[in-house]
Amino acid sequence: MGILDFLSRAPKSLRGRTAQPTEDLFDDEFQRKLDYLAMVSKRVFSGAMRAERRTKKTGSGVEFADHRDYTPGDDLRQLDWHAYARFQKLLIRLYEEEEDLSIYFILDSSSSMAFGDGEKLRQAKRLVAALAYVGLANLDRVTIVSATDELSGRMPETRGKARIFRIFRFLSGLRGDGHTDLEDSLKTFVAQHKRKGLAVLISDLYDAKGFEKGINVLRYNKFEPFVLHVTDSKDRAPDLRGDVRVYDCETGDEREVTVTARVLERYAKAYDGYIEEVKRFCTRKQVAYYEASVDLPFDELILRVFRRGGFLR
Amino acid sequence: MLHFVGVPFSTLLPLGAIAAALIVVFYILKLKRRPVPVPFSRIWERILRDKEATSLFSQLKRLLSLLLQLLLLLLLLLALGDPRTAVNTMKGRNVVVLMDASASMQATDVGKSRLDEGKRKVRDMVRGLGGSDRMLIAQMDSAVTPVTTMTGEVSELEAGLASVAATDTRADFPRALRFATDTLRGVPNPEIIIVSDGVLGSASDQLGDVDVGDVKLGFIPVGESSKNAAITGFSVRRYPLDKSRYEVMLEVTNTSAEEMDLELTLLGDGAITDVTQLKLKPNERLPRFYPNLSGASHTLEARLAMADGSHDDLPADDHAYALLPERRRARIQVVTDGNMYLEAALLLDEYLDVTTIPTAKYPGEGQYDVTIFDNVAPVVAAGSGHVLYLNPSGTNTPFTVDKEIADDDANYQLGFDEVDTKNPIVKYTALSDVQIARAHVLKGSKEDKIVGASFKGPILISGRRSGSKFVALGFDIRESDFPLRISWPLFLLDTINDFVEEDTSYISSFTTGQVFRVPAPSGVDAAQLLEPGKNADVPEDWRTVPVQDGRAVFLGEHAGFYTLRTADKAYETMFAANLSDPVESDIEPVKELKVGASEAGEPSGFTVGVRREFWIYLLIAVIGISAIEWLTFHRRITV
Repeated sequence: MGILDFLSRAPKSLRGRTAQPTEDLFDDEFQRKLDYLAMVSKRVFSGAMRAERRTKKTGSGVEFADHRDYTPGDDLRQLDWHAYARFQKLLIRLYEEEEDLSIYFILDSSSSMAFGDGEKLRQAKRLVAALAYVGLANLDRVTIVSATDELSGRMPETRGKARIFRIFRFLSGLRGDGHTDLEDSLKTFVAQHKRKGLAVLISDLYDAKGFEKGINVLRYNKFEPFVLHVTDSKDRAPDLRGDVRVYDCETGDEREVTVTARVLERYAKAYDGYIEEVKRFCTRKQVAYYEASVDLPFDELILRVFRRGGFLR
Repeated sequence: MLHFVGVPFSTLLPLGAIAAALIVVFYILKLKRRPVPVPFSRIWERILRDKEATSLFSQLKRLLSLLLQLLLLLLLLLALGDPRTAVNTMKGRNVVVLMDASASMQATDVGKSRLDEGKRKVRDMVRGLGGSDRMLIAQMDSAVTPVTTMTGEVSELEAGLASVAATDTRADFPRALRFATDTLRGVPNPEIIIVSDGVLGSASDQLGDVDVGDVKLGFIPVGESSKNAAITGFSVRRYPLDKSRYEVMLEVTNTSAEEMDLELTLLGDGAITDVTQLKLKPNERLPRFYPNLSGASHTLEARLAMADGSHDDLPADDHAYALLPERRRARIQVVTDGNMYLEAALLLDEYLDVTTIPTAKYPGEGQYDVTIFDNVAPVVAAGSGHVLYLNPSGTNTPFTVDKEIADDDANYQLGFDEVDTKNPIVKYTALSDVQIARAHVLKGSKEDKIVGASFKGPILISGRRSGSKFVALGFDIRESDFPLRISWPLFLLDTINDFVEEDTSYISSFTTGQVFRVPAPSGVDAAQLLEPGKNADVPEDWRTVPVQDGRAVFLGEHAGFYTLRTADKAYETMFAANLSDPVESDIEPVKELKVGASEAGEPSGFTVGVRREFWIYLLIAVIGISAIEWLTFHRRITV
C-alpha cells in the first residue's frame, strides 16, 4: 500500500478538512437518473412545460401584453384602432415576445462548500447538472459560472441536450477553494452577462459580508434570482467538545470557545436563526428560495425543487 | 501545634514544589486550545457575544480549577507528612485485652450472651484507639489464645475479636495474666484490660501470685443476674459382675440466691429413662443416685430445665453427657487338661466366649482375644491374643521361670507379701492372706511390672511383648486357697478386662478444660476427632489429634459426645465430656476485680469516632474533592 493509498484511506483530519471530491459524480447511473427526472418533470408539469418560456420583453409575440403611447416611427400595424375610437388617443399594442430563456447557474465553489467531507459541493454540482439538463432539454440557453470572491470559472452559453457532457466536464473540474464574496463575484457576473434571465444561485450563503448583498446585485440588475440554499446537518451540529479555538475555514477568523452541550444547543439555535434569516429575506424580496439539504436523497430533492416552482413555469 | 511524624518536611517541600510546578505546566498546556476549523465563524460569533459577558466568571472558574488542584496537592502532601497534635505525638499505649470466653460467658442475661456484650464493648474500644495505640486481643478460657497480633489496625482487631468463641471450660485467669504481663514486658504504657463477668477465681497458681507490676489494669464487667442451676456431677459405671446393668451418680446445684423448681430428665440412647421434679434451695447441692439401671447400651444424657419449661441464664451447664463402656464378647481360649476352678470362674461373666482345648491340641483354630495357659507354657501361636500364664514352666515363656519356692518355713507363710494395689488386674481383690503351698519365682525384663511378690521373689508379673500383654501367676491355684476366695474370679475377670481394655470403672466422661487422654490403637501417630455439634459427614469437621503412647491427646473445650477414629476408620470410639464445674456455674457477676494489691479500674481514653491521625481525614478530603471535581467536570459544570 503506497502513501497515496494510505492518505486516501486515512481519516479526514489527516487530509485536511476541505476534502475534494474525487469520485465520478456523473456516472451512467446519474445520467439515467437525469433522463428519468426530465421525463417525470414533463409529465408532472405538462401544463407549464412548453419548450419556450415567455420573457417580460414585449415584442412580436401573439399574446397581448400592454399599450403604450404612439411615437413617430412605430409600426402603424400595431396601432390599436379600437382604443383610438374609444379614447381618441393613439396607442400601440404591445405583445409578449416569445424567446428561449437564458438560465445562469451560479455555483458557489468556496472552501465552505467543500468543508468537511465536501458533500455540499458534491450535492450542488449534481443539482446544477440536473437542472441544467432539464433546461437544455427545454431548449433554454444554459450558462454555468463558479463563484467565490470572483468568477473563478465559466462555461459559456450552450443549448441542446447533447451539450450536457460538456457541463459534466466543467462541473467535474471545479474544486472548492477561496472565500465567499457574493457581492463582488456577482457584480462581475452581471457585468459579463447582458442578457437577462433566470440566475440560479447555488450556495451555502456563508458570506462574511452578508448574503443579501449578492442576491441584491442580481435583483438590481433585472435578473430573476432563484436561490438554492445548500445546507448540511453537520454544519448545524458540529462534532466538537471541550476547549477549542475555532477558525473560519475561509477567512481564518479565530474565536476561543469552550464547547459544552449547552453551547452546542445555542449554536444550533443560532444556525437555525441564520437559515431563517435567509428565508425571511428571500420571501420579503420575492426571491424564489429553496433549502437543499444534503441529507435529502438527490432525486427527491430535484422533484421538490420542481414542485416548489420558480424554476419551471 | 501540629508535628509531622510521617515523611519529613525537608522531603515534602521539594516534592511539593516539583508537583506544583508540574500542575502549573499542565494547566498552561491545557490552556493552549486545539484549533478547529468551522465553515462559517459568524454563527459562532453570535453565541460568543453572549458568552463574553460571562468570560470573567469563566476565567475565575479556570483559576479556581488550578487552585483546587494545588489544594489537592497540598492535602496529599500534608497526609504524607502525617501531622499529629503535640498530645498525640506521645508514645501510644500497648494494650492486651483478655477476653473471657469461659462457660459462664455464655449466660444470656445481657443481650445475646455475655460474650457478645463483651465483644461489643471491646469493639467500641478498638474503634476509639489512638493513632499510636496498639492492641492485642487474647481469648481467655482454659488456655490463652491470642487472636490478633499487637497492632493498631482496626480491621485486624475487629476480625480477631469476631473469631472469639465461648467454650465450656473454666477460665485460667493466672495463666492469662502471665501471658499478658509477658507480652507487655519492656513496652511503653502497658495496659491489661480484662473483659469478663468476674467468675475468674484468684490470680494465683502453682507458681504463686501473679505480679502484674506497673502494668495498668482495666476491667470491663459484663453480666447482670445470676439465676442459674447446673448439673455439676455426672458419672456412670457398669456393675463389675453384671455388665448389662449400670448405676448413675448425678449432682445438681442451684448457684443462685433464690429457690428453684427444676425438672431433671435422664435419657438413655436418646430415650427418656427417668424424669424427676426437684426443688432446690439457694446454693443447695443435691446428689442423686440412680442404681441398678438397665436398658441403655451406649449414651446417657441428663437435662435440667426449670419446672415451668423455661431456661435459666446459663443453658450451657444444664446438660451432662456420659457414655457407657461398650460391651462386647471377649473370645477366651483356655488351654488346660482340666481345671474346675478356672472354668467355673469364667462362667461368671456371660460376656465371655470360652473355648477350652486340651494342652495336646494347642494351637487350636480361630482368633482369640485372650489365651489362658493352665500349667503349660507352649510356644504361643499366632491368633492367641493376650496370654495369662497360670503356673508356667519351661523356656517358652517371655520371662524366666526361676527356682521353686515352697511353704516350708515355720515362721513364714508363703503368699503375697507385696501387691501393687494400683494395678488394674488386682482391683477389688485382697491377696495379702492368700496361702500358697508351692510357687515359682518369676523374673521378667525391666519393663515388666511385678504385681505381686512373696518375700522370696515375684510370683505375679505382667508385661507386654510385641503389642500383646501377658500376665503370669507363679503357682498352681489348686495348690493354694486362692480359688476359694472371691479375689480369684475378680483377679481373673480384671485380667481379662485389662487385656481387652474393658474397664468397669471406666471414667464415663471427661471434664472440659483439661487435656483429654483417650485410649487409641497403638501404632498410629494421629487420630481424627469429631467434636460435639460437628457433622460426621463433613470431612472438614474431623480434626486431627496426635496419639502418644496409645492415647489421643488434646484439650477438650466443649461438653458433649466426641468421636475418635483412626484415619483408616478401622477403629472408632466415642466418649463424653462435661463442664461439671460448680465454680463456673456460679454466674453471679462481679463488678470489681482485684489482682493482688492492684485494683482494676475502668478503662479510659477510648473515644469512639475520633482518630488521632489527621492523614486519613486529609486523604478522605482529597478523594471527596476529586469526586466532586470529576462529577462536575463530566456534567460540564466546571469546564
